Amino acid sequence: MDNYQVNRIKEASYGHSIIPPCQAACPLHMEIGEYVDLVAQGKVMEALQVIRDGNPFPSICAYVCTHPCEDACRRSQVDEPIAIRALKRFAVEFGGDRMIELEAVTTQSEKVAVVGSGPAGLACAYYLRKLGYPVTIFEAYSEPGGMLRVGIPQYRLPREVVDTEVQRLTHMGVEIKTNTRVVSLDLLFDMAYKAVFITVGAHQGLRMGIEGEDSPGVIDGATFLREVNLGLKPSLGDRVGVVGGGNVAIDAARAAVRLGAHKVSIIYRRSREEMPASPSEIEQALEEGIETMFLVTPIRVKRENGHLNVTCVKMELGEPDADGRRRPIPIKGSEFNTEFDTLITAIGQAPQLSEDFRLRIGRGSTIQVDPVTLTTNRAGVFAGGDAVTGPATVTQALASGRQAAFRIDDYLQHRYPLADTGEKKSSLGELSPKTIEMIKKIERLEPPFLPPEARVNEFTTVELIYDWQSAVNEARRCLRCGMGAEILFQDKCATCLTCLRVCPYHVPYIDDAGSIQIPAEQCQACGICVAECPAKAIVLRKPYDRRHIDEELEHALKSAAESKSKPLIIGFCCQYGLFGTGALASLWREGKAGIWIVPILCVAKLEEVHILRAFEMGAEGVFIAGCGEQCSRENTAFWVLQRVEKVRKVLAQIGLEPQRLQTFNLRIAEADAAEALDNFTEQIGGLYLNSIIKQEVRT
Amino acid sequence: MIVAEQKPVEEIRQVIAPYERVLLLGCGTCVTVCGAGGEHEVSFLHSALQVAQARSGDGIHSFLEYTVKRQCDFEFLDLLTDKVKEVDAILSLGCGIGVQVVAERFSDIPVLPGVNTSFMGMAKEWGVWDERCAACGDCRLADTAGICPITRCTKGILNGPCAGTKNGKCEANKDMDCAWILIYKRLERLQQLEKMRRYYPPRNFRVIPRPRRIVKKADVKVGKDNG
Repeated sequence: MDNYQVNRIKEASYGHSIIPPCQAACPLHMEIGEYVDLVAQGKVMEALQVIRDGNPFPSICAYVCTHPCEDACRRSQVDEPIAIRALKRFAVEFGGDRMIELEAVTTQSEKVAVVGSGPAGLACAYYLRKLGYPVTIFEAYSEPGGMLRVGIPQYRLPREVVDTEVQRLTHMGVEIKTNTRVVSLDLLFDMAYKAVFITVGAHQGLRMGIEGEDSPGVIDGATFLREVNLGLKPSLGDRVGVVGGGNVAIDAARAAVRLGAHKVSIIYRRSREEMPASPSEIEQALEEGIETMFLVTPIRVKRENGHLNVTCVKMELGEPDADGRRRPIPIKGSEFNTEFDTLITAIGQAPQLSEDFRLRIGRGSTIQVDPVTLTTNRAGVFAGGDAVTGPATVTQALASGRQAAFRIDDYLQHRYPLADTGEKKSSLGELSPKTIEMIKKIERLEPPFLPPEARVNEFTTVELIYDWQSAVNEARRCLRCGMGAEILFQDKCATCLTCLRVCPYHVPYIDDAGSIQIPAEQCQACGICVAECPAKAIVLRKPYDRRHIDEELEHALKSAAESKSKPLIIGFCCQYGLFGTGALASLWREGKAGIWIVPILCVAKLEEVHILRAFEMGAEGVFIAGCGEQCSRENTAFWVLQRVEKVRKVLAQIGLEPQRLQTFNLRIAEADAAEALDNFTEQIGGLYLNSIIKQEVRT
Repeated sequence: MIVAEQKPVEEIRQVIAPYERVLLLGCGTCVTVCGAGGEHEVSFLHSALQVAQARSGDGIHSFLEYTVKRQCDFEFLDLLTDKVKEVDAILSLGCGIGVQVVAERFSDIPVLPGVNTSFMGMAKEWGVWDERCAACGDCRLADTAGICPITRCTKGILNGPCAGTKNGKCEANKDMDCAWILIYKRLERLQQLEKMRRYYPPRNFRVIPRPRRIVKKADVKVGKDNG
């Protein structure tokens, strides 16, 4: 792997753009805007490449990521956030992630041991391998994957997905020793490992500390899920109570339903608003018939006649505590009894660490590390994942594993640790109300789900994948935060106010000094001002403007010159959403003689000079195909027509028929669009013939 | 602001016909603002000339593009010294002033106009410009409620309205407001209708000897006893 790639993994680059909130919120700081935009263009393989650049196991995240990016998405100020995780899943499935094979070459001599094969361990091994180190993973259980395998139920993450990623790692040369519990780190160093990454997870269920907790029929959530996930079918009886409000509690409850329990109740001491579990998981659990007992906590368990008699107390919410959630307080005299066959306790988990590791332990039995270098109190020993943070998300674990790999590399290469690049902040603030008002409201498209009645009987995956059109449409909702316009050449700006007058979103304004400002946090990157600026002082932060169109146009003209098919027709076509379907795609695929498509990222960015350039290079006809009212931006068709009129006027002055330049709306009924295009082609053919005859007559 | 309009491509092709290498010179001030001769329009014209040349098959020109901050000041034109040596003519997309200043600065090379300098005015909205001032040198706007009858009345009369006003519009153009009706209404709002009742004598055009010059600097002598 060359340096460029290493750098690319280390420091995710976002060109000239400002980091959008989604990317800042992602623990892996993936280039979300980038891949969502590629999906919107129908470029799924390219989208997958971007995803893979920022994430070692995208297929896993595509299923289980808790998507903090969606919580940060500024589209939620307009209507609803972009369905980023579902789009990632679409890219992973349709982009051919399964086909990708990874290779790695050993270029370093220092062996590294990874203790634990959960997401953090796997990620660490992946990046260390890419950096050329020989890596061995030690796993105590019979199968690698850690929580991915023993914590997360199959209906959320199919086992084949984990298997594929593990196989890929093995293919890269990572050695995985299962059924191997590491009891002493000294032994590892004796075995010539130069660095060790401890990532044993947090598998030990916390105790409630109530009477009767050790009765048969009471089981902790982590152990229960592990048994289920390793293929055992614990007998639960009819009535199951699950204590807790986190994701493990929800997972346990949903697994219990699938194991045949008739009545499953979640017992949580606060109310639904305070539940730490992901809202969509809660929603799905309720759909599956799971009941809830809010503001209730068990205080005593008694086993009688093969059942559990559970005494509970009702709670009320008091003042907010240290983490901002309202503290539950027992209501005196509100005790009541209820019966279960099984009680699953899922109130938290902690790491289980061998004392022989001689690691400094902190709050909640977690390993104490330096947050920047992930070093522990022992030289050469690094730690990460749930073992350090306590139960957290898969994506956080992956990020921690990646960080560990690069810090271990620093350590082994005797480099001073690089400044921590983990923290990323987005400087983009809120959208202003007048911008929000102008943004087209487009409903969020969710991927389809199995109906609840189909999913409660088995452990098959609940969430299905988008179809092509839905994914593209959903991706097009992205506001492209941080990719917007900026006045790059302040000295050229004549303060003519064109940008202020043409912006559909009322973004540019005049500051106190009388200069024009285009605030990045409001700009919707439609590109109209870029094309209209009479001083050419504005560019888009992401070069989707004239710079991109110039490149695409020259490319098409070059191919056209080689093919020599006549008459040459250049079509500037919106790339968003159209690649996979429609009249245009068939044109593209069939490669109709003489028609060359220049894909552009919204026709509003097309400038008169591009059209003229096509005519200069011998095009007999030029058409511009936009997506009409389907466009997620405002006013685009108006500006296309303005520019077309201007060019037609000049064509007439030059002696070319203005009808050589046409516009099409490819979102009208597809047959109509195809017909209109055929008519145009025919017309241009006629004009071309005429001009040849005229030329003959002249000579 | 000076408002101009780009000349038709055919006319421009005729004036540049004798010259092989042509510098298309934009101006970054008034003609940029009115969309006639800024960097964007220079590129547009360049492309249009290339198309014309390619399609007619009789093109021999090569073009250079450049836009200066302001053509009407010698100092900005100094940046062009090297470029001018490489061309046979300059097509200035500046206003009539720009063309003349460029011509004065570069005395050995033909300087041709690429725009028609039209008037002094304002942007009414995007893409629409209106005339507002005729630079008559004898401003009467204090008497006419800030609305200039010289430019905005077709006849330019000082004592209006004339008999051709109808429903607030001018007889010369039904879409054009009658300037004197506008003046009347605004004076009414300002409660200064008495200004309508006065007679304004014809203006003395002898106060405008052309070409005009304004000298702001005082004629002073710095010497031993002075300063």
